[in-house]
Amino acid sequence: MIEKGKISGMQMGFMMYPTVVSTAILMVPSVTEKYAHNDLWISTLLASLVGFISMYIAYQLHRLYPNQTVIQYSVHIIPRLAGKVLGLLFLFFYLHSTGAVVREYADFISDAFLPQTPMIFIASSLLLLSAFSVRYGVESVARSAFIFTIIFAFPVIFLLLLIPDLTPGNILPVMEHGILPSLRGAIVPQSWFSEFFMISFFLPFLSDIRKGRKWGLISVFAAMISLTTINLTILLLFGDRVSGMSYPVLNAFRYIRMGVFFENFEAIIMAIWILGNFVKVSVFYYSASLGLAQWLNLKDIKPVVLPLGILIIIFAYWSLPSFQDVTYYLTGTFAYYGPLMQTIIPACLLSIAFVRRKRPSSS
Amino acid sequence: MRNLHRLLGQSKKPYFRSVQQPSRAATTSPLSNDQQTNVETLRKIYSNSVDVVFRSFLIGGKTQATLIYIEGLSDTEEINTNLLRPLMEEFEEGLSLRQLFEKKVNISKIDALSTYEDCVEALSVGKPVLFHEGDSSGYALGLNRWDKRAIEEPEAEAGIRGPREGFTETISVSTAQLRRIIKSPALKIEPVKIGSYTQTQVLISYVEGIVDKNILEEVRTRLSRIEIDGVLESSYVEEMIEDNPFSPFPQVKTTERPDTACNAILEGRVAILTEGTPFVLIVPTTLFSLLQSQEDYYQRFLISTLIRWLRYTFVTLSMLLPSLYVAILTFHLEMVPTSLLITMSASRESVPFPALVEALLMEVTFEVLREAGVRLPKQVGAAVSIVGALVIGQAAVQAGIVSAPMVIVVAITGIASFMVPRYNIGIAFRILRFPVMFLAGALGLLGIMLGLIAILIHLCNLRSFGIPYLSPIAPFRSADLKDVAMRAPWWMMNTRPHQTEEEFNQYRQAPAQKPGPDRNK
Repeated sequence: MIEKGKISGMQMGFMMYPTVVSTAILMVPSVTEKYAHNDLWISTLLASLVGFISMYIAYQLHRLYPNQTVIQYSVHIIPRLAGKVLGLLFLFFYLHSTGAVVREYADFISDAFLPQTPMIFIASSLLLLSAFSVRYGVESVARSAFIFTIIFAFPVIFLLLLIPDLTPGNILPVMEHGILPSLRGAIVPQSWFSEFFMISFFLPFLSDIRKGRKWGLISVFAAMISLTTINLTILLLFGDRVSGMSYPVLNAFRYIRMGVFFENFEAIIMAIWILGNFVKVSVFYYSASLGLAQWLNLKDIKPVVLPLGILIIIFAYWSLPSFQDVTYYLTGTFAYYGPLMQTIIPACLLSIAFVRRKRPSSS
Repeated sequence: MRNLHRLLGQSKKPYFRSVQQPSRAATTSPLSNDQQTNVETLRKIYSNSVDVVFRSFLIGGKTQATLIYIEGLSDTEEINTNLLRPLMEEFEEGLSLRQLFEKKVNISKIDALSTYEDCVEALSVGKPVLFHEGDSSGYALGLNRWDKRAIEEPEAEAGIRGPREGFTETISVSTAQLRRIIKSPALKIEPVKIGSYTQTQVLISYVEGIVDKNILEEVRTRLSRIEIDGVLESSYVEEMIEDNPFSPFPQVKTTERPDTACNAILEGRVAILTEGTPFVLIVPTTLFSLLQSQEDYYQRFLISTLIRWLRYTFVTLSMLLPSLYVAILTFHLEMVPTSLLITMSASRESVPFPALVEALLMEVTFEVLREAGVRLPKQVGAAVSIVGALVIGQAAVQAGIVSAPMVIVVAITGIASFMVPRYNIGIAFRILRFPVMFLAGALGLLGIMLGLIAILIHLCNLRSFGIPYLSPIAPFRSADLKDVAMRAPWWMMNTRPHQTEEEFNQYRQAPAQKPGPDRNK
């Protein structure tokens, strides 16, 4: 076994929450608004369905193949060579996504706060810290995620300060054009929810699998509630002005003032948001490193961590040369790419595994 | 890397060992039958040592005998009245020496010795050794007594309420202090000798049945691994048994209060007492146990809880406040309320330095002042505080070297760092303040966050004798939060803190002891 650490179900739940929410919170409000207009809060509710499905698939696959990750059991479910190729696809996918996450983070920080700092420095400093954590193994990732998630969830309290500025009327008319716009709005956020399949990389290290299912569900549920609340707040706050904003959440936090003296929260929010993003990057990074170590049948994760980090930086720049590409990737490509790799292919694996389990003689 | 080891003196070359213990080989041989030979050999072992006294006399005017002791370690009055006088004057015919000891010598403890090594050991702890004609063994007499400091209030760990006694340098007094608090025979005190020259006695103390066996075993192995020529303070032991010697965070708790040591022992930890120092080591330890003061348990739980929250806040501030100042002034000016910004800008107008340099200047000055104050004789101390007030104060502002807000930041940071109840954990935050300041100067709040992330990852992976340093937060144990997130009242402290994954003696008291007028109805 490459990984000797054990984590608790609660730690896994706390890891997955910012993995989905931290970047979604930036993009989802404006993207869903584009399609669903004032029904954008329904879109996130619908999108979360994919989260529950992906998690259920990962959980069922884990029950069939306990103590294995998707890289390991794919060679058991389908022919060995095909399984290895699929494993490689998964690795590529996670490398690529990690690159995109890092790029998105660097774009956001440099765009909103440090326009003169070279973006590659912003990206690689975070990645280096993640590498530091990933090298220590899953316990390190999980423990730091636990602390960071608590702090990450804290700014929700600040949103309460917005209550006097909300216009409840903005929500009307609900479903003016039927459910279709909401469904179209759900296409992008569901790709974030499909990331819940990544529990597949952590389920084998759980000390109590039943708690893992419980906390996985709590995590999806919390992500659903958070994103819906954020969407709703943004809608009630800005109404149809949302469509012109690239980061509506940031605008919302700029709106907050406490008393007459404390304003311009967004730097603090940015600082806290970095923590959530760090968790996201380290979870992705860890999954990619663990996957590669397992794919190569290595005994230890350490040798692959730093080389992968360099690859991730390269992916962040080569595959997404400009900010427009990042937006296009996240709102266009990834909406299909993510669920394909994390929901549809695993679903196929699960059905094949079920069929093969029903007829054990044929294998 | 190999060269580094050599530099650090961890060479595994065998010459080290041969230098280390030259006299051992000579001393392990058994005592001879001849009294004269024994005395001569010991004379040779203690050659050129003026403090070793060899006193020859005749027992009852007949039998040749020699008494050896080290001046200052043995009670010469007792030797005169209770040993020499009976042996020389009250001798009765027909008594063997052994009978003589039984009948005439009123000394509570007499041990027979069979090797030179035993003799040396007895002498070195102050027991006089007696040889006499016709007996192949020597006798160590329990007449050791040396001057020791009286028990005093520990100055580094003062408090308002609670016992006022502290450990002293004498280890037998320290063990007695522990035993006086924990009277149960389950309190065990195991000896280890460390230091090939100092032969320092180190004691492992724990309560059987509460302590985790794996931790205890780990303590024993780590202590037995130490090969060093001398232990002058428990810090020698501490540095040799740490889990991560490069971490700025101490992984061992030190205390000079018996009540703190006993509290730790009752929580299932192990106390390591070292001869010659009042500072006792406590392992395993966690970050939060280092941030607790023993007095938290002596004040009522409400105020203790509030003080803990205040302490956590200000400990964080002591590390971050200068960095926040630098980051906000350099990168995030918009966060400062406008009216404040105007006054701040006005006061910074005459200052030639950027915020980072200003902060570094002041923080280093503060550290210098603090360090100068610690080691100064008391008479000179007043001078330092007068000059210090000038350097960090109005004079510096008027001279245009620093701005007034910076002085306030340094002052708050200084006071905040005094909120840390233990000196050794305060050091970690003092050290880390500086790299975080540089990060803040370079990247603003982002830099502070990156620094914090790095520190937290390090803390998440740090262990003290196998126990995660951040427990019970990461890994999370809700039952142990009662003594970390707050200080629960004693009637709620039903369980001991969790140490390892193993089964442990969980309950320390009966449940449902909440007091009140209706309790026994």
